[in-house]
Formats: sequence, structure tokens, C-alpha cells
Amino acid sequence: MSAAIVIEGLTKRYRAGLRMRTVNAVASASFEVKRGEVFGFVGPNGAGKTTTIRAILGLIRPTSGSITVLGTRMPDRAVRAKIGFLPESPYFYDYLSARELVDLAGRLAGLGRAERRRRGDVLLERVGLARDADRPMRKYSKGMLQRAGLAQALVHEPEVVILDEPMSGLDPVGRKDVRDIILELRDAGRTVFFSTHIIPDVEAICDRVGFIVGGRVVDVGPVADLLGAKVLGTDVVLRADDAALAALPLTGERTRRVGDLVTVALGADADVGGFLRVAAAQTMIVSVTPRKESLEELFLRWTTSEEKSA
Amino acid sequence: MTPLAARATASCLRVYAVGLNTFREAIRNKVLYGILAVVVGVNLFALVLGEMSLSEEARVARDVGLAGVSLFGAITAIVLGVSLLHTEVQKRTIHAMIAKPLGRPEFVVGKYLGMAATLTLLVACFAVALAGLLHLQGVPFAGAVVKAVVLGWLEVLVVAGIAVLFSAFSTPFLSGIFTLAIFFIGRVTPELRHAAARARDEWIRRVAEGALAILPDLDVFAISGGEHQGVPVSVHADFVPWSYVGDAAVYAGAWIVLLLIGAALVFSRRDFT
Repeated sequence: MSAAIVIEGLTKRYRAGLRMRTVNAVASASFEVKRGEVFGFVGPNGAGKTTTIRAILGLIRPTSGSITVLGTRMPDRAVRAKIGFLPESPYFYDYLSARELVDLAGRLAGLGRAERRRRGDVLLERVGLARDADRPMRKYSKGMLQRAGLAQALVHEPEVVILDEPMSGLDPVGRKDVRDIILELRDAGRTVFFSTHIIPDVEAICDRVGFIVGGRVVDVGPVADLLGAKVLGTDVVLRADDAALAALPLTGERTRRVGDLVTVALGADADVGGFLRVAAAQTMIVSVTPRKESLEELFLRWTTSEEKSA
Repeated sequence: MTPLAARATASCLRVYAVGLNTFREAIRNKVLYGILAVVVGVNLFALVLGEMSLSEEARVARDVGLAGVSLFGAITAIVLGVSLLHTEVQKRTIHAMIAKPLGRPEFVVGKYLGMAATLTLLVACFAVALAGLLHLQGVPFAGAVVKAVVLGWLEVLVVAGIAVLFSAFSTPFLSGIFTLAIFFIGRVTPELRHAAARARDEWIRRVAEGALAILPDLDVFAISGGEHQGVPVSVHADFVPWSYVGDAAVYAGAWIVLLLIGAALVFSRRDFT
């Protein structure tokens, strides 16, 4: 599978403050986004996610490094016709309605009137704005703006979709809708590159993930590879009263009771088989789950180690 | 269609899209209707002034009406123009636009043309108000007055171009001050020429000559009361021929092109953070 986006040695420096201090917003970032995959670009606030996206789109000029999209070195206007972009915190012309915004986006992408109207209707329906499509966007909630932004990003059926924090400001229903749209795009063969700091979204839909912390891309790979196969422990959920629990061979393991269910967190070197044999005799075993490092824990580990090194 | 013609057509359509959007923004802005109401009010006030002017009602009506076109047109051009590009960057509305296959020069030209269309509509409304005022005074709206309105409109378009140039790199407040300064200097070019010719101090002469060399001569568009080819011209008597208006249009067009090239060059080099 060839790369949709290739970033090599991307660096962006700014001068900030009265003393014109040099700030490395992005430092020698290199990674690839493959065609047809959903790539999550993860990092804390101020890590350089948005700066990287703006550099890809030509909104800012890199200090050094190169960006290639669909095999063409950026900036290139013809390639931008194949990119759909949803900006972070949607900033659109609030005097326009969502229908007018999508129409404007279609015009700029070179679509004819009939095509703009047809695709606009379909997209506004898909993002759940059909009923409010003719209201001025100044009356929209943040979630509605996000939906309008998605519609304008997709109206020209782009090959590469770049979404900057697409879930921020959305309620759970809105987040699920956006996740579904991203998965639909992947199923249609599109490449989706999206930035976020909401880890469950990444785990739910991404094929691969890139971590950026302090302007440096610190890890890139499939979610499963990043998390590794190492088991950190085993969580056993039992249905047991206090007397049955007291009869178990527990030696300082963490337990948590909710109603008549007790979760026992066994360590990585615990004798799980032996414990389960005793537990089966005294209680009812509800579930046994190996505990691995979560993406969230990995994210926190990277963030903390970068903060320490900074 | 050749590839070049196809590219040019696509470019024109993108410029049109940006221009249409800018026009929509302006006509949905309540400030514009406020300015229109003030101009109508000024024209009504001209009726009162005319009554106080001892048989000079027609002169007062023409002067006040044309001053309204020029002054309020220029003020509107400055108000709209100084924030035209700056607001796009500050509100980050430009991000979604520039991410499309839209060139930054196309964006600048589209924004300017949208504003120019708004100003043209506004000047047309001013002209209708002036025609109504003259009609009430029993003066025909023709000939010299039409030419003066067209010249005033051309001046407004040049002032808008100046405001857009500053808007490409400065804040609305500073852009407003710079544009107003150039508007006033551009209106006193006869005095600057006089200063350049008669100044005893070398530096005054050089400053006056420098200003004349680099700034637009807006007096070209406010010729009434001045001289054309050594002959006094006035909107109340003998005015300039249409060929003069044509030359002024070419002059305005050249300045607008220069100003937009400058704005596009500056805008193309900016980072949108």
C-alpha cells in the first residue's frame, strides 16, 4: 500500500514573545500515512498536531523538511483539490447557512451547480443537519458547526480527509456519528488523517497511530504493535460474598467490590490457574481478562517522559 | 478548450465564488444599512440647507449629494476594506478556504471584487438618493452630475484597494489610519505640487515630490472646482468631457491592479496560525 502522506524532517520554528524567543512547534517530524487507512495523530494540547496539519495544507510554511501528498510535493494546488479539511474548532462564515457553506466549498472545488446541490443535500442529511441547513451558522451549537464543517470537507469527495480534532465539543451521539463517518470513508477507500487527544476514539477506529509530544513524533505504528503483547496482569471478576472472598488465597492483591461483584487485580507473576481453581470452588467466576497497557497509559507515559526530558 | 483556457476559467470561477461570498457578507452586515440611512439623511439635510441658501438650492443639492458619494463612499470603503483580509486571518475563516484548491492571489482578488460590488451597489444607492434630491429641487440628474458620480465611484474603488493592501498585513485600526492618511494626502495633490515647486526648504520639496511619486492622485477624481488643461471646471457649469472620465478610469484601474498585486504578494508570504 503506497503512502498518501509522507512527512520527512518537518520542522516549524516560530519567534514568540517580546524577546523573540525561538519556539520549535514541530521538530524533525517524520512519518507516513498509508493510502486507505485511518491514522490517528495523537498528542497533548500544544504538542504540534495542528501545526503539522497546517503545514500539510500550506497554511504555514515549514522551516525545513518536506511534505508529499498523493505522490506530489506540497504545496500544490491541484493536490489540495483531492484533500478535504475540517479545521480545529470550526471557524466558518457565521452569516452563511450550512447549505451555503457547502455550496461555497463545492464552488471552490470546481463542482457544477447540480452536483453541488445533489452532494450538499446528501451530506447535510448524512451529518444530521438537513433540518437546520438553511439557518445562519451563527445560531449553531459547536456540535452543529462541527457537522457543517465535515460536510464542507467532504463535498468534493476527497481522496485524503484531514480532520483536526473532529470529536472535540461533540456529545457522545455526535462523537459516534463522526466515528461512523470516518469508518465509512475508510470503507470507501479514502485515507483519513485525524488529530485528537481523545484516546478511546483512537482505539476504536484507527489502523495506525502517531504520537507527537513537544513537537517530536515519538512513536508511530499499528495500535496493537504499540501496545505490545506483554500482559501486565489479570483482572478476575467474581460473584462472592465477604465470607467467600475471605477464603480466597489473596496476598495483597487489589480488590474492588460493586454490589455482589468483586474484581480482583492479579499481578503479572501471579499463579492465575491456581487462583482460579480455588475461586471456582468458593465463588462464581464471571470473567477473566488479561490486563495490557492501554493506549491511554502509553500516551501518558510518553507525555510524562517528554515533560521530564524537557 | 485549451488547458490554459480551462485553468483560467476555473480560476475565474474560484474568484467569483470568493467575491460572491464577500458580497453576501457585506449585504448581511447591518452597518452598511446604517451608512445608507446616514447618506439619505444628509441628502434630506441638503434640502434644509438649500432653503437657507438664497436661491442656490441646486448648487447646495449637487455639492452635498456629491460630497456624500465621495465622503461616505470612501468611509465605507475604508470600514469594509481594512478588515477584509485581517478578519479572515484573525477569525481563522481563511483556513477552510485556503485548504481548497484556491490560490491566495485568487482569494485577495475575489475579496476585493466582492467588496467592489458592494461599494458599487452603495454608490448606486447614493446616486439614486442624489437624483431624488435634485428632482425635488427641479434640477436634472444628467451630464456633469453623472460624470462626477462616476469619478467619485472610481475614487472609492481606489481607496478600497489601498485599504485592502494594508489589511493584508496590518490591524484594522492601523490600516484605517494609514488609508485615511493616504486618502487625505491624495486629495491635496495640487497643494503638494505647489509645495514642491515653491518650497524653500529642500526636505519639504523632497517630501512633497516623494509623496506625489508614490501615492495615488485622488484629486483626479474630485476635479470639480479645479482645472482641466488650464480651464476651470465645475459640476455647476462646464465640466470635464467623458474622455477625461475614461482616462480617470484607466488611472484608477492601474492603481487598483498595483495595489492588489502588492496585497497578494504580502498575503502569499504569510503564515496562517
